[in-house]
Amino acid sequence: MTLMRRGTIGIAVGLLLLLGGEGPGALAQGGPPIKVGFSSAMTGPSAITGEGVKWAAQMLADEYNAKGGIMGRKIELYFGDNAGTPGEAVSAVRRLADVDKVDVIVGQTHSGACLGALPVVKELQVPMVIEACSNPKIRDLIGKNGNEWAFRVNPDDIMLANQFAKYIAQSTKTVSIFAQNDDFGRGAAAAYDAAFKKTGIKLVSTEFFDRGQADYRPVLTRVKRANPEAVLLVMLASEGSVFMRQFREVGLTQKLYARGSMATVEFLHQVKDSPSIADGLVEATYWTPALDPAWEKQWLERFKVPVRVHGSLAAIAFRYALAPAIEQAIKKTGKADRKAIRDALETVDVADTPVGRIRFDDTHQAFINMLLVQINGGQLKLLEKITIQP
Amino acid sequence: MGDLVEQLVHGLTLGSLYAMVATGLALMFGVVRLVNFAHGEFYMLGGYAFWYAYRVLGLPYPVAGVAAAAATAVFGLAYERTVIRTILARTWHVQLIATLATSITLTNLAIIVFGTQPKEVPTVLSSAIAEIGGVRLAWQRPLVLVAAVVVFAGLEWFVARTKLGRAMRAMSQNREACAVVGVDVQRVALATFGLSAALAGGAAALVSPLFNIFPDVGALLTLKAFAAVIVGGFGYVKGAIAAAFLIGVAESLAAGYLSYAYKDAIAFVVMVAVLLVRPQGLFGRRIGI
Repeated sequence: MTLMRRGTIGIAVGLLLLLGGEGPGALAQGGPPIKVGFSSAMTGPSAITGEGVKWAAQMLADEYNAKGGIMGRKIELYFGDNAGTPGEAVSAVRRLADVDKVDVIVGQTHSGACLGALPVVKELQVPMVIEACSNPKIRDLIGKNGNEWAFRVNPDDIMLANQFAKYIAQSTKTVSIFAQNDDFGRGAAAAYDAAFKKTGIKLVSTEFFDRGQADYRPVLTRVKRANPEAVLLVMLASEGSVFMRQFREVGLTQKLYARGSMATVEFLHQVKDSPSIADGLVEATYWTPALDPAWEKQWLERFKVPVRVHGSLAAIAFRYALAPAIEQAIKKTGKADRKAIRDALETVDVADTPVGRIRFDDTHQAFINMLLVQINGGQLKLLEKITIQP
Repeated sequence: MGDLVEQLVHGLTLGSLYAMVATGLALMFGVVRLVNFAHGEFYMLGGYAFWYAYRVLGLPYPVAGVAAAAATAVFGLAYERTVIRTILARTWHVQLIATLATSITLTNLAIIVFGTQPKEVPTVLSSAIAEIGGVRLAWQRPLVLVAAVVVFAGLEWFVARTKLGRAMRAMSQNREACAVVGVDVQRVALATFGLSAALAGGAAALVSPLFNIFPDVGALLTLKAFAAVIVGGFGYVKGAIAAAFLIGVAESLAAGYLSYAYKDAIAFVVMVAVLLVRPQGLFGRRIGI
């Protein structure tokens, strides 16, 4: 071997060492962008959730790409519009997977859309990280229960209801449920019905409403007639403001509990003319701005509107489940394709996140913390952080 | 009994909203024989115009209300000159697609321009609560009812007494004959769209303080108003008004005593029931305003 050839080999080995090489990942630094699809309701009565998800995705992509991407691979964003419905979710997933050729999907924000999307992600073999669909049926379908391509970060309504019912039972004996007439609302209503029975709370009535309603007074008159000690609302902030105004207009003074996005800055922004309209309301949730003030500040500076809960949940799913999985996939296999990301998601274990530890069990369900957040004097107050056991 | 009165008040408030939107829809069909599926979006635009005038510009409520109605009327005129005039002589399929396309375009434009966050426009009257005979209600609700009565009385006077109103009635009976005797049919059609849009904008200014404004607020409203127009006898304005109140009250009673989840189906159940018994609608003897 000539001196020159030995020198060339030496330089090559040196370069490899500089890359920090241990296995295929070292060679995979850089490469084509990772295509991430975010699917949510971009149109229809739930469009506010999709807008939040889109903004969060843009913030994340800018942040990661400014640092050179994940393991040198830039993030490329694609968006699917599920309109909050199962049918549109099917089209959105097909488009993201077949046309945009995404490597992974984050979504679907709405339980019905999620249930619609599950068979399609399985058929097309594209991993999907669920950020905010709480219908309990989802867990019966994913992971070892049949669909190996879906992973859920957020807790479902059975997990939340079991804890929340114990809290409610401390001061309340009778409750009426008022829930959205969709998979989220019906799933939650069934979960709370069962949880109330276990804790000795009497469920006085259950009413459902279609989203985008203008007038809740007829049903509020029914609640007045039933006269429960408390009302459990399963609704989003966009409906909450009209509902609360009419609740007070009818003269109801019942205690208020909620699931959805009532104890949020979105809601408080909506009712800024009467910020104490929902004072005392306690919501069972898994994200509130107090968990990540830096994210809230960054959001406010960029979009000039209050931070959105569903966008923030998509960011949690991306940052603490998907990004580590992509990194692991590249390190292990040198690739960030659908199969590699799916396999890596199964082994993700991030202990230090604002929402608690993220690790998926064999049903592909993570167990992040549950929060009780109260509206108090027009401000949000984190009452309690509860660890959910698998 | 108090419950029943309360549900009737809700029903009449809703009925007033449906009636003002349905009146415009019936006027349009009566005069130009066209079903405007973008009519709910006139209401949506009126709502945003009202929000802008009242919340952003800070105009007094009555001025903001009139401004919203006027802005929507201007939009109605522009819509007639651009979309409607182009498709009026085409088949109903083309008209259906064009008006639906306008509806979708306007909804998505509203998402882009105003965002997805619903706009709240509470007024002094919507926040002040009256207690009458054990029924608590915001003062805005009686205002909606009184304003609706005034608007319909004014419309009746306009159609019966003014030259333009009489021309509208004549056109609703025979457009060709009107053209032959020198009625400027295009001008009358234009005025009809302006008036119908103003009614939707006025309804938005009256009702928005009670409800919210959001991009697809008009979608379901168009369908309910359409049901009222069919139940009332297609193109018969007084019939549409009566049917709208009937649907509002039926919806409210169903929501209060049967199930709230299916209240939106009530308008269509009423429509099907009426059509089974009276295919021409409750009051439809003939087409004509």
